[in-house]
Amino acid sequence: MEIQMWQIIALTILSMILIWDSLSTAVFDGKPIFAGILAGVIMGDVAVGLAVGATLQLMVLGVGTYGGSSMPDYLTGAIIGTVFAVTSGQGVDFGIGLAVPVGLLMVNLDVLARFCNVFFAKRVEAAIERLDYAAIKRNIWLGLVPWGLSRALPIFIMLVFGEDIVNGLVSNMPEWLTGGLSVAGGLLPAVGIAILLRYLPVKKYISYLLIGFFAAAYLAVPMVGIAILGVAMAVIAFRQSLNGNQAVVAANSGVSQEGLLDGEYED
Amino acid sequence: MENMKTNETRLTKKDINSLGKRWIMGSQITWNYEKQMAVGYLWAMLPIIRKLYKDPEEQKEMLRTHIQFFNTTPHMGGFICGIDAATEEHEGYKAKETVKGLKTGLMGPFAGVGDTLFGVLFPTIFGSIAAYMGQEGSMVGAIIWLLVNIAILIFRTFTAGIGYREGSKIITSAKDKLDALTAAATLLGVTVVGALVATVVRANVTATFKSGEITVNGQDILNQIMPCLVPVAVVAFIYWLLGRKKMTSTKAIILVMVLSILLHVVGILG
Repeated sequence: MEIQMWQIIALTILSMILIWDSLSTAVFDGKPIFAGILAGVIMGDVAVGLAVGATLQLMVLGVGTYGGSSMPDYLTGAIIGTVFAVTSGQGVDFGIGLAVPVGLLMVNLDVLARFCNVFFAKRVEAAIERLDYAAIKRNIWLGLVPWGLSRALPIFIMLVFGEDIVNGLVSNMPEWLTGGLSVAGGLLPAVGIAILLRYLPVKKYISYLLIGFFAAAYLAVPMVGIAILGVAMAVIAFRQSLNGNQAVVAANSGVSQEGLLDGEYED
Repeated sequence: MENMKTNETRLTKKDINSLGKRWIMGSQITWNYEKQMAVGYLWAMLPIIRKLYKDPEEQKEMLRTHIQFFNTTPHMGGFICGIDAATEEHEGYKAKETVKGLKTGLMGPFAGVGDTLFGVLFPTIFGSIAAYMGQEGSMVGAIIWLLVNIAILIFRTFTAGIGYREGSKIITSAKDKLDALTAAATLLGVTVVGALVATVVRANVTATFKSGEITVNGQDILNQIMPCLVPVAVVAFIYWLLGRKKMTSTKAIILVMVLSILLHVVGILG
């Protein structure tokens, strides 16, 4: 069957709603099984959508996006896979076969959207310096645009131009770019951490930085364990500074002042 | 009046409800590599900042404070917003340093619990059921999962309120101990950041070295020196870069992207 224009528009809007939901209310949580079912409803074949979505769901079990890491975008994959499974008449497996490379390719747009929002964050910072609340609010909401477009644009293009362009894009994307971007996706959180280290009085607390690193890197302590360790040390430090003599208290109040200077980071 | 509460403006239940909802809707809409959820945090706190601080310079400084790097599980962030609101309500502007420490100290632990619970446990359990039943042609599993997610959303609307009430108690009892608390919270925060270096930054070394018949994997050699050596080096490098004049975080991000592509092309990272 041929896909209708209203279906293309409905699917494009669906992809935007799903990504925005996954960022906020999270009732569909960006999961491929829901994307498949909803795309199936629009395409008039829920059974195919459910089957494509369910298979993709099994592939992403336990895979989460933490600290800004990107994972294969099987939300977009499920929508595209469902549509072409229905329109080509070639069934569920064909749809899944298409959904996987699409999901792998689309992870690059997820990276791009997260990168584009640096721009709006900068504008928010500039607006803060002017104390311009209207601009602050406007630029925060504009952050939705890269997110929405990162799903809506590829879906719209792929549905309009059909599966040839899908296959062409997937096989022609140069490896240096896809591979390099995935390396960047792994390294970029380092920028956030480095900024945080500039912001915290890290020189004063260098031992604790090393302890946290040691526990995670050498002992493979999970984050909750790190937190328990940190809380334990924090309680000791808190008690000591309360029970300590006046000199200790004075030194401690000096700490936060000095820490501010150490941690000051001008962008 | 000096030893009285520094901030006479009181937050209402409505303020706190709005704080929770704003966090849910806003926490990730301006997610970006530099500040992660910081802009969303700012969005959640905006009305409270305007209500608590009348002096424009104080407002500006608190806005700057809340746009610093922040990242936690979206499901758990409401607690932190609530605790923060309680702290700022009671202590006012002089709590600025405490708030910084609290936020960085709490985001890791909350993310540790939240990511496990909402990022791994729930999706794995209900996702398995929904996917299994879906492959059998039944939507029942998917509907159950949807209902669970709606229940989680309802739970999330209460988190800011819980954080606010419990936070008030903590802050009121430790009122005179603000400096000690700041130091303790900062210590916790720094410990967590130390662990973040080892867990959040990913670098897979693909380079291999040939010595006669023997091929040695570059990652294995590095691991023998120190685990997470590359992440540490990258963080240290960017930390050093940021201390230089004219270097901005945006330039650092672009540099990392270019370096990533180059290192991948020459076969060092993959």
